[in-house]
Amino acid sequence: MPQSAPSFRDPAGCCCSFNGRVLRFVAAEAISEFEQFLQTNCARQFIARKQFVSTRRLNENEAAALLESPELQPVFHAQPGGAVFEHERIPFPSYPHEWPPEMLWAAGRLTLELAQAALADGFGLKDATPRNVLFRGSEPVFIDALSFERRNPGDPIWKPHAQFVRTFLLPLLANRRWGLPLAEIFTTRRDGLEPEDVYRFCGPLEKFKPQTLSLVSIPTWLSRRAGPDDQKIYQPHLLANTEKAQFILESLFKRLERTLDSLKPAAQKKSVWSDYMATHSYDDPAFAAKEKFVSEALREFKPARVLDAGANTGHFSALAAQAGAEVVAVDLDAACAGAIWQRTREQKLNILPLVVNLAHPSPALGWRNGECPSFLDRATGAFDGVLMLALIHHLLVTERIPLEEILRLAYDVTNSLLVIEFIDPKDEMFRRLTRGREELHATLDTTMFEQACTPYFEIVRSLALPGTQRRMYCLKRKGGAS
Amino acid sequence: MTILILAYIDPGMGALLWQTIIAAFVGFLFYLKKTRRWIVGVFRKMFGRSQKPSDPVAEIPAKETMKAKADVR
Repeated sequence: MPQSAPSFRDPAGCCCSFNGRVLRFVAAEAISEFEQFLQTNCARQFIARKQFVSTRRLNENEAAALLESPELQPVFHAQPGGAVFEHERIPFPSYPHEWPPEMLWAAGRLTLELAQAALADGFGLKDATPRNVLFRGSEPVFIDALSFERRNPGDPIWKPHAQFVRTFLLPLLANRRWGLPLAEIFTTRRDGLEPEDVYRFCGPLEKFKPQTLSLVSIPTWLSRRAGPDDQKIYQPHLLANTEKAQFILESLFKRLERTLDSLKPAAQKKSVWSDYMATHSYDDPAFAAKEKFVSEALREFKPARVLDAGANTGHFSALAAQAGAEVVAVDLDAACAGAIWQRTREQKLNILPLVVNLAHPSPALGWRNGECPSFLDRATGAFDGVLMLALIHHLLVTERIPLEEILRLAYDVTNSLLVIEFIDPKDEMFRRLTRGREELHATLDTTMFEQACTPYFEIVRSLALPGTQRRMYCLKRKGGAS
Repeated sequence: MTILILAYIDPGMGALLWQTIIAAFVGFLFYLKKTRRWIVGVFRKMFGRSQKPSDPVAEIPAKETMKAKADVR
């Protein structure tokens, strides 16, 4: 099998990852249309803006070399007479169940912009799902290059409209109105929320609010009135006047854009952790010492890829990004990840913020668990540096993860550097979390911590943060890269 | 022209019907907009003709204007 299972829903072709390369196998009958699309103004402009994945067709020799790999032969045989294209690789793939709502909104915006631009070139977007988009840092990139088909100029209907509503608008609406986390929607539902699902959440008055009426209530009432076997609904309604069809579609896209913008997450959302940087327990000298310690470690190790675990509002992710690293910042709080996304976009930093709980990381999803690999599958060995700052007490106390397990996870993820903050059980925050269970951590101190580190890491240096019960450690992974 | 129909995604039912209804309404707006544009065009033409005599530059034939400009240079 290729290293990532191929996508298989689109009959026009499939995409898979093989030896670090992203390959797209296109069916014989779809090659010409695919190549025509890649030559359009729309594709060229979005590729130039780095919002569309760059793509090249492999020549016969390159394709023949791939055919020699037994893992790829089933894919070749599934597309007889097809062609192979190669896409640029997006550094760390992420999925909608790991995005803060801000990123789902940005992916939706890009999808609509592309659909509109393609319309002008005579092409239509044939599916509209957030799974067509990955993020390079905080910027969305449309990766499903085969999602475009030549459209009938007389067709005023955009078939993926319902999918766009299910996978972008309704999840954003449910998140905004009832605080439903995107992870809960997309982990269990590949295709988002049906209007009927959301209708059940709505109170009697809510059903008549303008947004709900158009996105939820009217579609629900209409589907109740139509018979389930009424195939006439799905027949194309082609218009002789193509100018009129184009006008209708342009108006649909503008309407969807307005609705999407009305669901844009608020800029300054509050949560338990979003004010941490303003309310944390460090005084200025301690925080300055911590910042200096992390900066020095980054300067010394120069990691190209950094995972900031428990990133909060991304202060240290920004330090790593400013030091030249490609950063993945994870936090279990969607408001924090959303704030990082805002900041990253404003400051043009290379940070990918994700909503991930390290104690309960995103599982593998999709058919045979092969469509979206788990977070740890993607993270293992993928980073040169890991930051675990003000994190271990949450894992030790709240999640009851043994110290050795935490260090083993860091060992699996980093190829070189680990900067970790040790928090003594006497620390104010630690005590707030233990809630009378102090005896569980009575033996934990720096000696025990350093002993636990020894099998996995070499201690490069450590520093007690003045006026706190915390100590910073700069550790080097033992035994080379994972 | 051959049109590849590859709508492998579920187009929904209620949402598709709602889109069709809105499309019909927007189609009606399309004709309204065209008619409005046509009426505005007719008025502009009429209005434009009636304004010309009051515009001293407009009274001068194009060739003469060009010549006058050339003389100034």
